[in-house]
Amino acid sequence: MLKVDRLGKKYSGRWIFRGLSFELGLGDRLVILGRNGSGKSTLLKTLSGLTERTEGTITFPEGDLRHVLGLSALEQSVYAQLTVAEHLQLTADLRSCPARVDELLQFIELGYAKDVPAGQLSTGMKARLRMAMAIQAKPKLLLLDEPGAGLDEAGRNLVDKITSEQAQRGCLIVATNDPLERRLATLELQLAD
Amino acid sequence: MKTILKALYILVMAAATIWTYSVPDANAFQKPGMARVFLWHFPPSVIGTFLMMFGTWFALRAVVDVRTGSWMRAQTDPVQRAEFDLKSLACIEIGYIFFVLTMVTGIMFSYLQWGDWWSWDPRQTSFLIVLLIYAAYFALRFAYSDESKKATFGAGYALLAFLPGMFLTFVFPRLPQIKELSLHPSDSITGGGIKGQYAQCVILLLVLFAILTVYLYRLRVRAGMMELEMERNNGKLENNGGDPAPTGVVRRITVSEQD
Amino acid sequence: MNSNWQTEIKAVFLKEWRTEMRSLSGILTSLLFSVVTVYAIGFAALSTKLHGTVIAGMLWVALLFSASSSLTRSFLVEEEQGTADLLRLVARPHAVFWGKALFNIFQNLVTSVILSVLYLGFTAATVTMPWLFVVSLVAGCLSLTGAVTLCGAIAAQAANRSMLSAAISVPLLLPLVALGVSGMRISLGDGSWASGGMASVVGLIGYATATLATGPYIFAAVWKS
Repeated sequence: MLKVDRLGKKYSGRWIFRGLSFELGLGDRLVILGRNGSGKSTLLKTLSGLTERTEGTITFPEGDLRHVLGLSALEQSVYAQLTVAEHLQLTADLRSCPARVDELLQFIELGYAKDVPAGQLSTGMKARLRMAMAIQAKPKLLLLDEPGAGLDEAGRNLVDKITSEQAQRGCLIVATNDPLERRLATLELQLAD
Repeated sequence: MKTILKALYILVMAAATIWTYSVPDANAFQKPGMARVFLWHFPPSVIGTFLMMFGTWFALRAVVDVRTGSWMRAQTDPVQRAEFDLKSLACIEIGYIFFVLTMVTGIMFSYLQWGDWWSWDPRQTSFLIVLLIYAAYFALRFAYSDESKKATFGAGYALLAFLPGMFLTFVFPRLPQIKELSLHPSDSITGGGIKGQYAQCVILLLVLFAILTVYLYRLRVRAGMMELEMERNNGKLENNGGDPAPTGVVRRITVSEQD
Repeated sequence: MNSNWQTEIKAVFLKEWRTEMRSLSGILTSLLFSVVTVYAIGFAALSTKLHGTVIAGMLWVALLFSASSSLTRSFLVEEEQGTADLLRLVARPHAVFWGKALFNIFQNLVTSVILSVLYLGFTAATVTMPWLFVVSLVAGCLSLTGAVTLCGAIAAQAANRSMLSAAISVPLLLPLVALGVSGMRISLGDGSWASGGMASVVGLIGYATATLATGPYIFAAVWKS
């Protein structure tokens, strides 16, 4: 489903990672571990194409990348003036996929905040909204950056639910420095400091 | 062989410089003897303009994948983009030096023939805007520390700058209302105003400047390519933290439920 | 353009509209800038009767700085607030460019019309060829918007993005100002249609067409890695 071959990223004269190769198949769940600054988030951004790779190749599952790939990252912000429902409608219109607003809101248990501007949401609620936008197009490859950060127990259960659903339809990569999140994984990658 | 060619070039350039002083005075000007500044003004402007055109062409090659015709950044090869951007940068850097030379000799001409260093002549002013546009190109490149961003945004701006640059160089000075106001001769070349030894001297200097340009361009590109190659293949040559990060290995977790 | 493109462009436009109309920060800043500029010019000129070329020149300087300070915001804000990555993930570059450019055209037209009306009122200028004034203003706004939107995208990821976007957009727009002044001074009774009016109208429309036609491609080349 995903093939990474000798991937490398250099920033300001320093290699963040280099020579990274792996393949993920259906049902694979890879967790990337490493301390702060080890390059976990950069690796996810490079895999998603948000940051340009310096060398190597990435082969994605077939299809429009807007549908194939979902990313939920801690540093990804939401529009403070748009409501939760408007966010889901916006991403659906831009991806040309069904919005599934009510279904997704029910899934992430945020139905009561449908018309609340995102600027008024708590950190955990924003994390849920980001995850909803990431899984909206039912991607074959889902990338989650620190999915447990800022979430309560119910939120962490939601992450578990999302990861097991993802394993049914594709593969998953989670970047974390929380060893507890190894529970989500079938594969692991330890990045050096 | 190369040394002989370089020595020959220096000799011919020296001879051409002496020749610029011995061509007859141009009597149509206020100070006929000083009109020979033109000989050092016109060739750099032509070479500079061609270099900016080539710079734009290489910028286009940097952002467009010729095989697929795609402009999408994700679908173009970063290595190829860096190499074409280097060629574009080399052209614009050398072209800028020639443009500065054009401006300096233009200011001298303005003082000698029109009586003022800066007379807000439309041609002079429009050329200053061209210099500002390309100065902004360098400012943009300095603003990014990441090499891939320098290449991408630099090439994008070079493309964006082409239209105003060409408008200011070729169209603006020929607008009737501008032509009326400008003291700058605009049809000396096309109207056959440059003749005899003046024409021969201009052609010789054009050829000599063109040779110098090719030499400087190749030198600049070669140095840049070596830098790119060094970055790609020999991180150890860098001073600080240049070593490749150790490669992580993906391994299967055998016991995961107990964690 | 198929229906998907229309939906995508409309989605970006609506997003811009909603975020702007609910915060009003960009449009209010831009309007305040216009009023202060007009007042400053009127104050500096006192009761002096200004020449058509001077009026046109000052109006275009105000339009230029108003556009380069407010329109670059559309991308700078996305980077500052960390929302740009969301757009990069889900939107195609042409849709982002056109959605934002259309909103910027709307915002720039509103600001320019208000600025021009106030300005003409303050300087007591007489417009002798209103259609030429309107054509110069509209074509000028279209060109300004296309170029400034692109400059915003090019400078948005730099550390000194606000200053840089103004620094790279202003020189690029100076030829446009020259064309705009040339057309507008004739509409204000300083010069005749034959002495450059035609050239400036053709130039302005050509500049607007070229900028908006090439803009999406240059944008696609710089938007997403």
